[in-house]
Amino acid sequence: MKLAASLDWGALLPLRLRAQGAAVGAMAGAHRSVRRGAGVEFAGHRAYTPGDDLRFLDRHALMRHGTLALREFETETDRAILFLLDSTASMGFRGRRAPAAKLAVAAVIAAAIGYIATRGGDRIALEWLGAGENQGLAARGGSPSFEALVAALERATPGGELGRQELERALSRAARAKAGSVTIVLSDLLDFPDGAAEELAALASSGRTLLVIQVLDPDEVELPFVGPVRLQALEGDLVVDTDASEVRALYLEELARLTARWSAVLASRGSRLLRVVSSDDPIEIVRQALAAIAGGRG
Amino acid sequence: MNVLVGAALLVGLFVVLPAVAHLLRRGRASVEPFPPVSLVPAARTVARRKRRIEDRLLLSVRAATVLLLAVLGATPLVNCSRLSLGRGAGGSVALAIVLDDSLSMRAKSSSGSARWDRALEAAEELLASAREGDSVALVLAGKPARVALGATTDLGLARRTLSELSPSDRATDLGAAVGLARSALVDPARRDRRLVVLSDFAAEAPPPGEPRVWAPVPALTEPLPDCGVVAAESRENGVRVTLACNDPGAARNRAVELVLLKGSGVEPSSAPGPKRPTAQTALARAEIEPRVGVQTVMLDPKATKDALAVRLSGSDSLIEDDLAPVASETRAMKVAVLGSPAEQQGPTGGPPLLEQAIGALQAGVTVTPLSVLPDQATELTPYALLVLDDPAGIGPEARDALTAHVSKGAVAAAFLGPRVEATKLGSALEPFARGSVRWQADPQVLGVSPPSLAWLGEEAASLRDLDLRGRTLFDAGTMSGARVLGTMADGAPFLVEQRMGRGTLLTVTLPCSLEQSDLALRPGFVALLAHLVDTAERSRGVRQSVAGAAWAFDSDRPLVQGPNGPVDLRDTPEQGWVASPAVRGLYRVKGDKHDELRTVVLDPAEVTAQPSPPPPGLREPPVRGGAGSVDVSSETALLLVLLLALELGLRFVRGARSQPVDAPEPLR
Repeated sequence: MKLAASLDWGALLPLRLRAQGAAVGAMAGAHRSVRRGAGVEFAGHRAYTPGDDLRFLDRHALMRHGTLALREFETETDRAILFLLDSTASMGFRGRRAPAAKLAVAAVIAAAIGYIATRGGDRIALEWLGAGENQGLAARGGSPSFEALVAALERATPGGELGRQELERALSRAARAKAGSVTIVLSDLLDFPDGAAEELAALASSGRTLLVIQVLDPDEVELPFVGPVRLQALEGDLVVDTDASEVRALYLEELARLTARWSAVLASRGSRLLRVVSSDDPIEIVRQALAAIAGGRG
Repeated sequence: MNVLVGAALLVGLFVVLPAVAHLLRRGRASVEPFPPVSLVPAARTVARRKRRIEDRLLLSVRAATVLLLAVLGATPLVNCSRLSLGRGAGGSVALAIVLDDSLSMRAKSSSGSARWDRALEAAEELLASAREGDSVALVLAGKPARVALGATTDLGLARRTLSELSPSDRATDLGAAVGLARSALVDPARRDRRLVVLSDFAAEAPPPGEPRVWAPVPALTEPLPDCGVVAAESRENGVRVTLACNDPGAARNRAVELVLLKGSGVEPSSAPGPKRPTAQTALARAEIEPRVGVQTVMLDPKATKDALAVRLSGSDSLIEDDLAPVASETRAMKVAVLGSPAEQQGPTGGPPLLEQAIGALQAGVTVTPLSVLPDQATELTPYALLVLDDPAGIGPEARDALTAHVSKGAVAAAFLGPRVEATKLGSALEPFARGSVRWQADPQVLGVSPPSLAWLGEEAASLRDLDLRGRTLFDAGTMSGARVLGTMADGAPFLVEQRMGRGTLLTVTLPCSLEQSDLALRPGFVALLAHLVDTAERSRGVRQSVAGAAWAFDSDRPLVQGPNGPVDLRDTPEQGWVASPAVRGLYRVKGDKHDELRTVVLDPAEVTAQPSPPPPGLREPPVRGGAGSVDVSSETALLLVLLLALELGLRFVRGARSQPVDAPEPLR
């Protein structure tokens, strides 16, 4: 998969990554920092203490009230973006009408958001959900980090299942992210271990932002088969003989129930679930994702 | 296949077509990968439930019933490679099977199966198709032809006899075997007679006649290349090996090798069953010429004192004839003739009549004329048979020598003539005749009594009307142990036999001279001489014979041990104990009077002869539509009844339950 040729990168230029929560970055960036410092937005007064920079002493307050007060301004810093990509075998599925496999679409979305983030001076990191041999990336900023992200996404291959051990390993790394960081999970949310929704939702704590993007194939959304069909899972050896025409409505209800449950669990922690279909326009998906991040609670 | 058979087979479509239609309509659910399969409920469709077979067992029983009905209507239907007896008139069949058990039937084709095995398999198939009431006879075509089983309706006995048969190294005697088989088919109760010949037809074509021969296995006549060691004999200047080949290719790049006999597989053994030769280093080796026919090779044993064997290097279709023991030197039997050449010469000149007649026997004997009877027994040692024509008495020294020689196993015969009355002083006719021996001129008798010489064969009748000018008269009753084997027409002795030690003395009361009688011109005279030679051969002991030839032991029962273990002997009233070693090799004969080694060799014609396919007419079965088809009517009908009973039982047990068709339900 060549990510460079699969996306209109020019359409991403006007986009910016904005999170509602303040960031706790060490470097200067485009995000509002929890720290006060050299900024342009007035943040208030505080009493002078010896050693403060006299340039921020409010002379008007001194003349009017006779007290030494100091003017404070909001400072801007960088933000860490962690991508948690599902690389299990089910993400390799590609239906008859899909432009690409779900993993490829998820990779495009991650690359696009990563591009936007690195352009805004943010650091990006990558971690995989699954038992494959795909390599993750530590949080880094700048153009080299984006190129490393693209290379890692292009090398990704689907395979294996998501067990309890793999899930805990990925979540433990995400839990180490600082306050103000954004965690973006890209997965089909299928065949997850029990309690995975609650454990993922727990990432949206300590000032972190969590967005879960459920990537589904058009066939998974519609169950397009007609008549008797034998369906085989890509993870595990489950095989179901059924009549697609007769059970379609039941299936769609089950799928909606699954999505609603995830959505409810995530919402309880202030994070959001974004369900997308791999045949959708990736730019639009990115816009929705950025909007979801911006509207989320830190 | 006629119209009725075809129509019956069409009944089978009542099973095939619904089954095909069901399979086509049922279809197969396509297998699709689908990650969220855990969210999809399983369901069985109404259509599938309608197409589902509710009672597979009952359906199978009914389908089998319809198919069996079709088979029953088309019987005889099953065409296969099995041989069977066709039944033209539907009655019982008289069957004679000629099985060729000669050496060439041991040859193996490229597929690894021997001709003998295929012939035996064909015979078993024929026996399997025989019904109760059919008579079966088994005849073996290895020389001499033998009846293995006379015509019998006991099919179990026929099968047991067949299972006990084994191939041999004999030559082929197909003509006689077919004759024996035809004689076994003379049964007025059965008009349907079959003569089956299972042979490679390598030696001769079957003689024409009725019933005609049916050769149902043409594959037996497939040419198979073979080279074999016919015989090997130790000579003064080396080992003389006689080889035979039926194909130049079989002889190409092959050599004849001299090996030690011990462990070779052709020495006498107490353990029954054939043994394989062990690998030995060759003592001597010589290439053989790549040509068809018989060839002779000399090998130098290099002063080896051990017993030897000869083998052929390489391999061909028949490995049993690639190994042979080396026989010790066998000389032709020598016959001494003592008479007066001037008186015995025939009207046309040449050697005496007695010598000419013995030579005409073609018995492979050497005739040596003697002028006088030797006084020393050692001078008589080379002669196994001594014939004296009209002796004028025997002197004491010569008599002692003759008696000692005969006692050691030789045979002496005297044709007594007019000179019995001209014995010299001190001479006598003992031990041939004792007491008063006189010559009777112009006897008024009509010759020899043929019934008294019936054991001589048909030739005895030729001695009935002899032109006699005289005869010898003596009283055989005074000679102890004498046995009169033949008499004149008036009852006077013509041929008297005495046992002396291990030998035999024979006295004929007529001379060979044409001046005294025309005895020497009669066929019976030649038969009488043949009897003398045979007696001498038996007494001397046959050292080398062709496989299948009979060895007669007229005294005690000896132990004959060959390469395949002890040989069975049968007791016959004419010849005493008789053994017929059918496998080539070295045999040890042990008895009170015997302890010797004998060699059984091959008939070279059995190796060189190529199979000749039987005429096309003989390959066809005598009854049209009979061969190659198996009549399974009775078995099919029985099976049909069983299936109907099974269906009734199933319906009784299960009742007439029908599976209700429900609405589609998810399984979970």
